[in-house]
Amino acid sequence: MTINSLYIFDRHCICVYYQDWHRTRRPKPASEAGLLPCRTVVAISNELPPPPPSTAGAGVGGLTSTGLAFDEEAKNMVKKISGRDEQFTSYRTSAYRLHLFETLSGYKFVMLTDPKTENMRVQLRRIYEGPFLEFVVRNPLVKMDSREQGIDNENFRAALDRMVRGLPVYA
Amino acid sequence: MAIFGLWIINKAGGLVYQKSFAEGLAQLTSNEQLVLAGTLHGIHAITSRLSPNGSSSGANVIEGETFKMTIFLTVTGTKFVLLTSLTETIAEHILQRIYEAYSDAVMKNPFHTPEMPVRSEGFETRVNAIIGSGQT
Repeated sequence: MTINSLYIFDRHCICVYYQDWHRTRRPKPASEAGLLPCRTVVAISNELPPPPPSTAGAGVGGLTSTGLAFDEEAKNMVKKISGRDEQFTSYRTSAYRLHLFETLSGYKFVMLTDPKTENMRVQLRRIYEGPFLEFVVRNPLVKMDSREQGIDNENFRAALDRMVRGLPVYA
Repeated sequence: MAIFGLWIINKAGGLVYQKSFAEGLAQLTSNEQLVLAGTLHGIHAITSRLSPNGSSSGANVIEGETFKMTIFLTVTGTKFVLLTSLTETIAEHILQRIYEAYSDAVMKNPFHTPEMPVRSEGFETRVNAIIGSGQT
């Protein structure tokens, strides 16, 4: 059981925070791919040397992105099939599992884990209620909707890291 | 526990078979279902390209808050999708058996055109025998 990485996207689908734990393949920098950060899918299947352990970079300048355009698609599909206002919560492949928690304000918390882990929505919600509200939302120095700067807050990073490392699925 | 529906999607992303069993999800028109099958096909392709470690298959299970879709991809690229409640545990097993029925009743049928909609009474009967009313 492992936790690979955590992404936080704002309501414009811009990646405002990103952190890695166990990861064997380095995500392709969005700028190198010539794509707008986070809007588009960046193939992570490029063979690159393994990253230094626990690298962390935040914000649009932090050069990391994942496919979240298709998340919107998945969300619409789930909504249409169920006929209710229902969220898409997770999917699983042979290699990993993606968990999604979306707040009412449009922030998306995305976590990649081992495929065998249980649903992590509750834990993502706790990240939101705990470190995120405490160190980001209630912090007057953080520009919430800047589109230029991600979350670059040591307290948040430390609290989040402690929280994730304390989870039973983290190994 | 309930089984809501079954889709079969050909390798180009077209919906070739659709059947609803238990109630519980939205009633969709066949056109909407065709669009959703195409969407699923795209999502499946994208999820196989994104992976934090090594190569990955496409999505096997997609979960919402009240239902999940279990996807079984055959080596020839046909996808079998089962819409069930979240607690359903035998979805993979059911899909495996439906694949068997499909191989026997559809693929071995000389009058069936590959990649085209499935209209076979024999297959229909076998699917009904496997899933029944959708209650397990």
